[in-house]
Amino acid sequence: MDSHIQVEKLSFSYDYKKVLEQVDMSIKKGCFFCLVGPNGSGKSTLLKVISSALKPQQGVVYLEGRNIVHMKGRSVAKLLSFVPQNTSLEFDFKVSDVVLMGRYPYINKLKGETREDLTIAEKAMEYTNTTHLRDRSFMELSGGERQRVILAQALAQEPDILILDEPVSHLDLQHQVEILNLIKKMCVDRKLTAITVLHDLNMASAYGDYIVMMKDGKIMRQGTPFETLTAYNIKEIFSTDVYVSVSPVGNKPYIYTLTRPNIEKRGIKVHIICGGGSGSSIIGKLHSEGFDLSSGVLTIGDLDWKISKENDVLIAEEVPFVGISDEAYAMNRKLAAEADAIVLAGLYLGKSNMRNLELLLEEDLKGKPLIIIEDDSFAERDYTGGTALQLYELIKGRSSSILADSKRLSEEILKAVGTHGEK
Amino acid sequence: MEKSNKKNWLVPSILVVLLAAALLLAAATGAVRISTKEIIEILTKGTDTVNASILMDIRLPRVLLAAVIGAGLAAVGGVMQSIFKNPLVDSYTLGMSSGAALGAVISIITGINVSIMGIETTGVFAFAGAVLTLFFVYSLAYTRSRMSINSLLLAGVAVSYFLASVISFLMMLNNDKIEHIVFWTMGSLSMATWNEFYLASAIILPATAVLLYYTRELNILVMGEDAAHHLGINTAVLKNILLITCALIVGVVVSTGGTIAFLGLVAPHIIRLVAGSDNKKVIPYSALLGAVLLVLSDTAGRLLIQPVEIPVGVMTSIMGGPFFIFLLRRQKAK
Repeated sequence: MDSHIQVEKLSFSYDYKKVLEQVDMSIKKGCFFCLVGPNGSGKSTLLKVISSALKPQQGVVYLEGRNIVHMKGRSVAKLLSFVPQNTSLEFDFKVSDVVLMGRYPYINKLKGETREDLTIAEKAMEYTNTTHLRDRSFMELSGGERQRVILAQALAQEPDILILDEPVSHLDLQHQVEILNLIKKMCVDRKLTAITVLHDLNMASAYGDYIVMMKDGKIMRQGTPFETLTAYNIKEIFSTDVYVSVSPVGNKPYIYTLTRPNIEKRGIKVHIICGGGSGSSIIGKLHSEGFDLSSGVLTIGDLDWKISKENDVLIAEEVPFVGISDEAYAMNRKLAAEADAIVLAGLYLGKSNMRNLELLLEEDLKGKPLIIIEDDSFAERDYTGGTALQLYELIKGRSSSILADSKRLSEEILKAVGTHGEK
Repeated sequence: MEKSNKKNWLVPSILVVLLAAALLLAAATGAVRISTKEIIEILTKGTDTVNASILMDIRLPRVLLAAVIGAGLAAVGGVMQSIFKNPLVDSYTLGMSSGAALGAVISIITGINVSIMGIETTGVFAFAGAVLTLFFVYSLAYTRSRMSINSLLLAGVAVSYFLASVISFLMMLNNDKIEHIVFWTMGSLSMATWNEFYLASAIILPATAVLLYYTRELNILVMGEDAAHHLGINTAVLKNILLITCALIVGVVVSTGGTIAFLGLVAPHIIRLVAGSDNKKVIPYSALLGAVLLVLSDTAGRLLIQPVEIPVGVMTSIMGGPFFIFLLRRQKAK
């Protein structure tokens, strides 16, 4: 197997406090691996055990198939380097000296540093863009520069595995990106496996190939960013309500923390007819304002479908390119019937999703408050040759209100639901 | 490259010249002046004059012992500062010197002072005192598998004071031996003999060589113990080797010259100001500088208010104290 690091049934406790419990993990070569989790969830301890700084009390860690307990300090050091959150030195060393320390596991004590060692350190400095700092004193450097020098030292160790404990927590945005880009580049160029603790979930999402979510010493979820970084998981692990969307850059989950401390559920159900991204901002807005949402009919893999999934919106879904089956239609109808209000987003309409409009003319839905978002003129969104437009005109006739955008959407919903309730 | 090579040789060359000059000066001056020419004559021809016996029997062993002890103390200071990543640590601040002094005092009081194959029990007691104190202080500072440098310094100073008062108490109870004890607590080289010099050299020189052997690892320890571990160093073993070697040197120093404060603290710092923090340079250069400083301090102590001799430990404290305060303030400014 391609498994570079294998962790099996690992447990660890400090005194009587269990810090890691039955952790199983398998890490592939060349993978950028992110550990996320609240403070005290055992991430740093896990890194320490994997890097041999702590001995596993139960369970086994294999590095390239070898049990870490049976490995000599030097062989571990040739295989793995560790980058801490920040490094401060009490005594002043030159940058080039600090980088050269990375060669220690290879140095013969009596011969000292060879020309090869110097060349490797030199290259590590070039790679991390620290060559110009070589004669500077380490302590005079800025946080970002220091972290680059420590990365150069780690590279000079010629490791296959790079372990980083919150490597960017002390840095400003520019340097965070700089350091993470550098680590990512190492993974790609040198087939390095990087395991890092990151606190910023969006950074974890943007850089991580694989994400492990930890809580209370246990692994709660692991998988790709899309599989792990969902609103549901984040709520469970960080006890925080978030809204998850898709970053337009790089197509990765993007997590928005909600400015309102807690979402108070209003107990009002809203069904959204959308698709192709027309519903994304509406879902985000209404979700953060405490409405219970459903959506449909959405094609699996559609942008609105992804956002619905990530925010635990009930979905009437359909496989792509088959139109809307009776089943999906029935589901959509059921969700709409259960809702207190329906929102029709400014979606494009073609033959395959026309039935979404037909739904709104069903007898049993006639009394439901319906709010239409009409940001573009409907004619431009009609790809059915006019059929949809006719339906649309009929639907418009029975709508509660028509809005040009979603700014005042929640007020309109509340108003419509209110007057409806009074009836 | 060539330029830096030249620079690399500059500092040690100056130190060697200084040491030679200090030794010569120390040998020449005192109650009786002996000219350089005469010194060379005595050394090469072995003349049998009064001056010759002053030089050979009294001054030379003392001056050479000062050089060896000074070198050992300074090397120990440099090593301990790196191990504990703190500029204020040395054998004195960690209580080792006081522990060694107490060991020596106990041996004097109990009268267990036999010499087996040239090794005096006083020395063995001093060594044991240094090691025990070190590990006691160390264990005080080490809680929950982590060591805080602040608690180490605090524990060292506290234990130091405690041991000093135990020594004072013992002095009170043993009035008859008070002069002998004062000799240990103040640090003095006035009783130096060739035997002591040979014994001190036989232990301090190889022990210093051990410290020099580990200077590369010492550099890495400055990065932190975790970093050292991740570079493949067995930090626990390394620290034990280094600390026991340091304790050995301190034990020998105390048993031959008493407690000599501040030298181990000051010498490495002066070197760092001049030559940077690379321990491959700091440790050997500090040893040379320590030798120079102790020879000069001892000579100054002999000359300043003749015919009274100021103990060398008092001299180093008078000069080292202000420097220590200067370091503290500099660190605060950081």
